[in-house]
Amino acid sequence: MNAPSLPDATRLPLSEARIADDVFRGMRQDNLARWPSGADVDFDEAVDLHKRLPLHKQLGWVMRKAVAERRCLTQPRGGFGTFEMQRALMVALDNEGLADIVPTTTDSYTRNEQWQLAQKGLEESETVGRSMLNGYPMVNYGVARARELIEAIDKPAIMLTGTTMPRLTSEIAFAGGYSGYLGSGIAYTTSYIKELSIEDGIRNYQYLDRLAAMYHEHGVELHRRQPGFLTGTNIPPSIAIITCVLDCLLAAAQGVKNYGVEMGETLHMVQDAAAVAACGELCQEYLAKKGHHGVFTPVTLLHWMSAWPQDEAQAAALISYGGTLAAISGAASVTTKSTHEAFGIPTPQANAEGLRMTRMAIYLARHIRLDGLAEFKREKELIGREVRAIIDRVLEMGDGDVAVGTVRAFEAGVLDIPWSPNRHCRSRVLPARDFDGYLRVLDPGLMPFPRDAMAIHEEALRKRAEREKVPFGPDLAVNSVYEISEPLGKLLPDQWE
Amino acid sequence: MKVLVTGVIGSDTHIVGNRILSMALEKAGYKVVTLGALTPAGEFIKAAVETNADAIMVSSLYGQGELDCRGFRDLCVEAGLDDILLYVGGNLVVGKQPWSEVEERFLAMGFDRAAPPGTRIEAVIEWLARDFAARERGLRRAEA
Repeated sequence: MNAPSLPDATRLPLSEARIADDVFRGMRQDNLARWPSGADVDFDEAVDLHKRLPLHKQLGWVMRKAVAERRCLTQPRGGFGTFEMQRALMVALDNEGLADIVPTTTDSYTRNEQWQLAQKGLEESETVGRSMLNGYPMVNYGVARARELIEAIDKPAIMLTGTTMPRLTSEIAFAGGYSGYLGSGIAYTTSYIKELSIEDGIRNYQYLDRLAAMYHEHGVELHRRQPGFLTGTNIPPSIAIITCVLDCLLAAAQGVKNYGVEMGETLHMVQDAAAVAACGELCQEYLAKKGHHGVFTPVTLLHWMSAWPQDEAQAAALISYGGTLAAISGAASVTTKSTHEAFGIPTPQANAEGLRMTRMAIYLARHIRLDGLAEFKREKELIGREVRAIIDRVLEMGDGDVAVGTVRAFEAGVLDIPWSPNRHCRSRVLPARDFDGYLRVLDPGLMPFPRDAMAIHEEALRKRAEREKVPFGPDLAVNSVYEISEPLGKLLPDQWE
Repeated sequence: MKVLVTGVIGSDTHIVGNRILSMALEKAGYKVVTLGALTPAGEFIKAAVETNADAIMVSSLYGQGELDCRGFRDLCVEAGLDDILLYVGGNLVVGKQPWSEVEERFLAMGFDRAAPPGTRIEAVIEWLARDFAARERGLRRAEA
């Protein structure tokens, strides 16, 4: 069902090393032969296409511009099951939403490389005139259609594919003129699949990173991006950033030079600002340690990624506040949601409104920074200590090789992700929100966080348990999953006791 | 002890709510067979046959549930589970559609109950108790 990679006796042992050119040629040939549309990928012609795109439609350039001008760009998500609906959506997000970056989300069959199923869903969507798929089947529609989508908008386009198997989708999207691709071997393999091993997920993304780097070597700077939001469920910043750094090192080893890192908002303003600052610095610190120079690592924040309230007014507040958090944190971009989030996929209009709400909030907060606050400094320092303790252990376990160390660390539980669906991830680590609104680690599982750091987490969570008169234990974690989706009457009652 | 099979159907990875539901059902006194995320329809039925389950509870949050759940009751019947209690819940279709229409669509597919987005776990536990009690009286499920 999940099309795991076939064991291949000829494949090289896992390592972070750059895939050799001759090996990569063979890999591409096999990959492009897996579905008829793969035959339309012509690398040299694609390079020319990208070079002809105006700079403002090239995401690599746009992300650099955003950082240089201290802008926080907006980007929604969005994908529908037919070409016509997808084009209309992208045009609406561009024109009505003023999106700085226009997305194409693929459907879940495509994400799992079930192109036959995607084909059926696409045909049925075309017949009934409503989207039966939760995204755009990029591989089925192919290169020429992708180019039409790029022509229909005046912004750069990014692929959002929530997949551990990006190899064919990325080939077709890049050949179509898409200049950004979200996804990574560690983050998505631990968050978007049940059976695939961490090793196979890393290998699949080494392919994509090598492909992006190959475009770079031919003068086209594509934007690769890492989804550190993981399972989107109360991920404390240090856990997100650990994956950001490791995935970034893997990409840099393949030659990627423009690599964004993402985190879901914690919804605590100081923690989010500290996390964004820490994330960028820690990526650069470890890139330097590993000898990778000149890698650009802008940070993106994402609107709340866990359960949303059904009340559209409550959701609107979460959207606007999410824009505020992103602006104040100094993030280079923010990924937006809409007031329809509790119900699933939004209409283009609701999606565009989410973009405008966010944009207004960014405008209002654009000059505010928290760097001078003692609480900010304390939190950033804490995040740094936690991240270094784990990453150093991972590098040690891999004898310096990030890919090997990562696989071994997941086996040992040294690396772990909360609420992971993947069988190869222990998912023993458990986060919860503390009394002051910070996301904390309730149970570290086997992750070797520094003892004094864990003491801080525990104290903060005990305070919440005490104040709310609930036992200190897993219930704190479960309550934290649903807290933000609760009705206002429960969150902030208007009646005195 | 009644046996329930839980899982997230199709190519859907949204595991968190399903995992919390499964924990709560266990606490409520059921034996729960958890299949986790990304579970094909056939695996639900296979697990139900193997464990002699009393109900199958299908979760879907990603919008493609409508495609994934088609023919689910037929698969049950083929496997000899003609009368097994079937629940489905989550964000079952693409986009915000009127719930009454969505519910009707899933009941027509042979599900005994469909739970809209935001359904409380306590409500599901109450449904189960009432439906199992109704079955003792020879009914298909409790009214409402």
